[in-house]
Amino acid sequence: MSLLDRKLLRDLIALKSQAFAVALVMACGLAMMVTTRSLILSLESTRDTYYREHRFADVFARLKRAPNAVREQLAAIPGVATVQTSIAIQVTLDVPGLPEPAVGLLNSLPERGEPVLNRPYVRSGRLPLGRTTRGELAVGEAFAEAHGLKPGGAISAILNGTKRDFRLSGIVLSPEFVFEAPPGAALPDNKTYGVFWMPYKELATAFQLYGAFNNVAIALAPGASEGAVIAAVNRVLAPYGARGAYARVDHPSHRRVDDEIRVLQGLSLAFPLVFLSVAAFMTNSVLSRQIALQREQIAMLKACGFSNRQVGAHYFKFSFAIVIVGVLFGAIGGVYLGHQLVEMYHLFFRFPRLDFVLDARVLVAAAGVSALAAFTGVAGAVRRAVHLPPAEAMRPEAPASFRPALLERIGGARWFSASFRMALRNIERRPIRSGLTCLALALATGILIVPNSFRDGIAYVIDFQWDIVQRQTVTLTLVEPGPSRAIADFQHLPGVELAEPFRYVPVELRAGPISRRLTLQGLPERGTLSRVIDAEPRQLTLPARGIVISSKLADILHVRPGDEVIAKVLEGRERELAVPVIGLAEDFAGMAAYMELHALNRLLLEGDRISGAHLVVNASRWSDFLHAVKHTPRAAGCVIKNSIRDGFRKTTGESIGLLQKMYLLFAIIVAFGVIYNSARISLSERTRELATLRVLGFSRREVGAVLVGELVLLTVAALPLGLVIGAGFAQGIISSVNTETVRLPLVLTADNYAFAILVVACASALSAWFAARKLADINLVSALKALD
Amino acid sequence: MSAAAHLPHPSSAPPAGADREPIFHVRGLARVYGAGTAAVTALRGVDFDFFRGELVVLLGASGSGKSTLLNQLGGLDSPTQGTLLYRGWNLGTADESGLTQFRRDAVGFVFQAYNLIPSLTARENVALITEICRDPMAPEEALELVGLGPRMDHFPAQLSGGEQQRVAIARAIAKRPAVLLCDEPTGALDVHTGITVLEAIERINRDLGTLAVIITHNAILADMADRVFTLSDGRIVNAHSNARRGSVRDLAW
Repeated sequence: MSLLDRKLLRDLIALKSQAFAVALVMACGLAMMVTTRSLILSLESTRDTYYREHRFADVFARLKRAPNAVREQLAAIPGVATVQTSIAIQVTLDVPGLPEPAVGLLNSLPERGEPVLNRPYVRSGRLPLGRTTRGELAVGEAFAEAHGLKPGGAISAILNGTKRDFRLSGIVLSPEFVFEAPPGAALPDNKTYGVFWMPYKELATAFQLYGAFNNVAIALAPGASEGAVIAAVNRVLAPYGARGAYARVDHPSHRRVDDEIRVLQGLSLAFPLVFLSVAAFMTNSVLSRQIALQREQIAMLKACGFSNRQVGAHYFKFSFAIVIVGVLFGAIGGVYLGHQLVEMYHLFFRFPRLDFVLDARVLVAAAGVSALAAFTGVAGAVRRAVHLPPAEAMRPEAPASFRPALLERIGGARWFSASFRMALRNIERRPIRSGLTCLALALATGILIVPNSFRDGIAYVIDFQWDIVQRQTVTLTLVEPGPSRAIADFQHLPGVELAEPFRYVPVELRAGPISRRLTLQGLPERGTLSRVIDAEPRQLTLPARGIVISSKLADILHVRPGDEVIAKVLEGRERELAVPVIGLAEDFAGMAAYMELHALNRLLLEGDRISGAHLVVNASRWSDFLHAVKHTPRAAGCVIKNSIRDGFRKTTGESIGLLQKMYLLFAIIVAFGVIYNSARISLSERTRELATLRVLGFSRREVGAVLVGELVLLTVAALPLGLVIGAGFAQGIISSVNTETVRLPLVLTADNYAFAILVVACASALSAWFAARKLADINLVSALKALD
Repeated sequence: MSAAAHLPHPSSAPPAGADREPIFHVRGLARVYGAGTAAVTALRGVDFDFFRGELVVLLGASGSGKSTLLNQLGGLDSPTQGTLLYRGWNLGTADESGLTQFRRDAVGFVFQAYNLIPSLTARENVALITEICRDPMAPEEALELVGLGPRMDHFPAQLSGGEQQRVAIARAIAKRPAVLLCDEPTGALDVHTGITVLEAIERINRDLGTLAVIITHNAILADMADRVFTLSDGRIVNAHSNARRGSVRDLAW
C-alpha cells in the first residue's frame, strides 16, 4: 500500500460516519435497483422456461359446446401446429373446514396420454389420467396450500346439481394458472377459488358433454399469423356458441404476470435514480469539505512533486471507496430483499420453482451508475484542488465575504437575532450549496411520501370497493343464466333480507382498432347493493340505453362519455351492437362495463334472464344460509364479501405492505443520512467560529443553536418543497403501477404529509443532537491558536 | 532565582497605585497533560496575585507554559493542582456551566487570529456578546473606544487586520469584563497596526480599570506593563515591576 493510500485509509476512518451515511444512501438506491431488476429477470426467465417446457398455448378459445370432430377443423387451420380440446367448467365446492362454498374450475385431462399443451406440473401425487372413473381430482397448489390439502385428502363438488365426493390424487401447477384466480382479479383469493383437473370422461359425463368440448388451446406453427388463426378459429367455432378466441397477451394469468413485470420496471429506474442523485450530492459535499480542510496537505504534496494527476486520483479514490462500500451493501441488501420479495411472489404466482436470480448485469451497471454519480459529484471539488497553486494552498483560505441577507436588505434586519443572521447570511453566501442541501432534504421528505401513499391508496381501495361499491353480504351465481324468477328462490334462502339480480355476459368492447374482452354486468337501474360509482364518488343511475365503463377502459379505448363503442356478445348468439358510453365508473381492479339489466337482456335478445344475485343475509342465520347454499344445485358460485375483503387485506398486507416497509426504511435512511451529513459538514466548517463563541461565554446549548440554525432554516424551506416533490413521486410511481389488472388511486392524506414532516424533523433533531454532542469535543483552546 | 529571592515577592505584592482588590489569587498552580510516561507538565507550580487596574505582561518562549496559564485564567482549562481563585471564588473546581458563566461575565478574550464571525458585521460581532451578558455597554460605544466608529457596519472581510483585532477588543470589552486576556494580540500585525491595537488595550485598562493580561514572546511589550512575568519550562523565572509604565508609542520598536 502506498503511503498516499494509507493516508486515504486513515482519512476514511476519520470520516467513517459520514462516509458510511453516504454509502448507505447509495446502497438504498442500488438495493432497489438490484432487487427490482433481478426480480424482473427471475420472473421472466422462470416464466419463459415454464411456458416452453410445459407448452403453454398461444391461442385460447371458450365456447358452449362443440363435438370433438370440430377439433380436426381447427387443426386444419393454416398456422396451427397443435390443438388441444378439453372441458372447463366452474362448480361449487364443499371444502372440509370451510363454512362457505368455494368455486372450483374443473379442467378435463385427455382420455389418452398426457395433455399436449398447458401440461400440468405435478408437485406431489399424480394426475388422474386414463379413462376409468375413480372419483379422483388433482388440485392446484395455491388452493391446496390455502386449505392444507394433501394427496389422498377429500373434497366435494356439486357437478350439474349432484354432490360428488372426490379424493385428491395429486397437487399440480399449470402454465395456464400461474396466477390462480378468477379472470380479472387483481389478487388471488385462494381460499374460495381453486383449479382442478379430472379425467375427461368423468367430467364430460357429469355435464352431458361426452364427445364434445368447450375449451380450446392452440399452439401456433413458427411464423404463423396469430390474428389470422384467431379469425379462422372464430369462424370454425361460431356455430358452437363461441366466446371469441384470444391470444396469449390477453390470457388473464399471463397478463397478470406481465403487469407485475411492468410494475417492477416502473419501480426499477426512476426511484433508485433519485437515491443515487442524493448520494452523489452527499459525496460531493463530504469531499469538498475534505479538500477544503486539506488545502495545505494538497499544497505540500504538490510542492513535493506529486503530479496533478496523482493528487486528483487520490481524491477520486476517496469517493470510489465510498462507492465500493455502497455497491457492496446495495448488492447484499438487494439480494436479501430480492429473496424476501420472491417469497412474496409465491403468494401470487405459482411456478414449479421461482428462484431469485441475481441480475449480474444490473449489479455491474449499478456500480457504474454509482461510480459515475460519485465521479460527477466530486469532479468539481477535485478540479479545484488540483488547480490550486501550491503557494496559495499553503495559506489558509481568505476570510469569506459576507453581506446582509436579502431578508435584512428589504428591512427585516431589526427582527433577527445575531445567530439567525449568521444562519441567513451563511445560506445566502453559498446559494448553490444551500440550494442543493435544501433539495436533498426535500427529496428525503418526498421519498417518505411514496410508501405511505401506497398504504393509503390500498386503504381507500378497500373502503371504496367494499363499503361504497359492494354492499351485499354475499353474491350467488347460477350454473347457467336462468329466468329472473330464480331471484325468488334466492329470497327464500334462510336469512336473506334483500336480493338484487344481476346478469353477467362476456363481451368484447371495441372502439376503432382497440378492443378488450370483459364481463358486461347488467344491474338494476339504481341498485342498493352492487352500485356503479364514479370518481366523485357518486352513484350513477343506469339508463335504459347506453353503457357505463371503467375510466381505465375509457382511457384504453380512447373514448369519452357520448362516444359509441361496439359491444360484441361472446356468449350464445353472437351479436354486435353500437352502444353509447354514458358514464365512467371508478374501479381499481380489472375492467368493467355496466348496463341496466333489462337493457342488457334486450340487447341479448334473451328475455328476462339473470346470472345470479347479490344478497344481504342476516348474520344470525349465517350458518343456516351457508348450509342451504352448499346444497343448492343451481348455485355455481358463492362469493362472500368479507372473506374477499379479508383476503385482499391479508395479501396486500403481505405484498405491498412489504414493499411499503422496505421503501419506508430506505426513505428514513436517506432523510437521516442527508441531514446528519449536513450537520457534520456544518460543524466541521464552523469549528473555529463555534469554539470562539464558547470561549466568549456562549453555553454549549447556545452554540448548538447557532450550529443547527442554518440546518433548521434549510429544513423549514425544504419541507413544503418536499411535500410537492413527494406528491409528484407518488403520482409517478402510482401511474407506473396503473395497469389493466391492478390500479391504485393517488391518495395523499394529511397523515402522510405529517408523518414525512415528523420523520424529517426527528432526523433533524437527532442529527443536531449527534452534532451537538460533537460540540463537547471541540477544543476551546484551539480557538486561541493562530491560523497557521 | 537567587536574586529574585531577595526582592519583596513581586508576584504577590500589589504595585503602587494599583487597586488592592485581587482579581486572581494563584498558589502552586500546576497543570499536567496526560498520565504515566506520556505525561507532559505544562505548569509546575506558579504563585501570583493579579489586581484590579493592573496591566500584566507574561513573557515566554513557545512551550514556556504562558498559554497554559492564560487558559487557566480564562476558564478554558482546569488546573491539575494548586489554588486558582477569581475574586475569592474557586475557579479550579468550577464545573462546565460555572466556567461558561465566568467567561460570559468576567472575561474578555483577544485572540491572535481575531476570531471574528465572518458572517457578522463589526457592530454585530460586538452585539453578539452584549446580547448575552448582564451589564454591557452599547456595541457602538465599545467600537468608538477602539476608534472604529466609522467602520462599524463593515464585515470582517472588508476590514484590515488591525481593524479586525480592534473589533475583537471592542467585543471583549463591551461586556465590561473584570479581566481582559490577550493572547499575542499583535502577533499577526505589522508594527504600526500593532501599536494602535496595544493603545486600545492600554486605554481600556486605564479608563475602565480592567485587569489586562497580555501574553507575548515579544519582550518589547514589557515596558508598557505594571508588572512583567517571564515564564520558562512551566515556572515563573523572573518577575519585576516597572516603576513607571511606558507609553505604547515610546516602546523601543
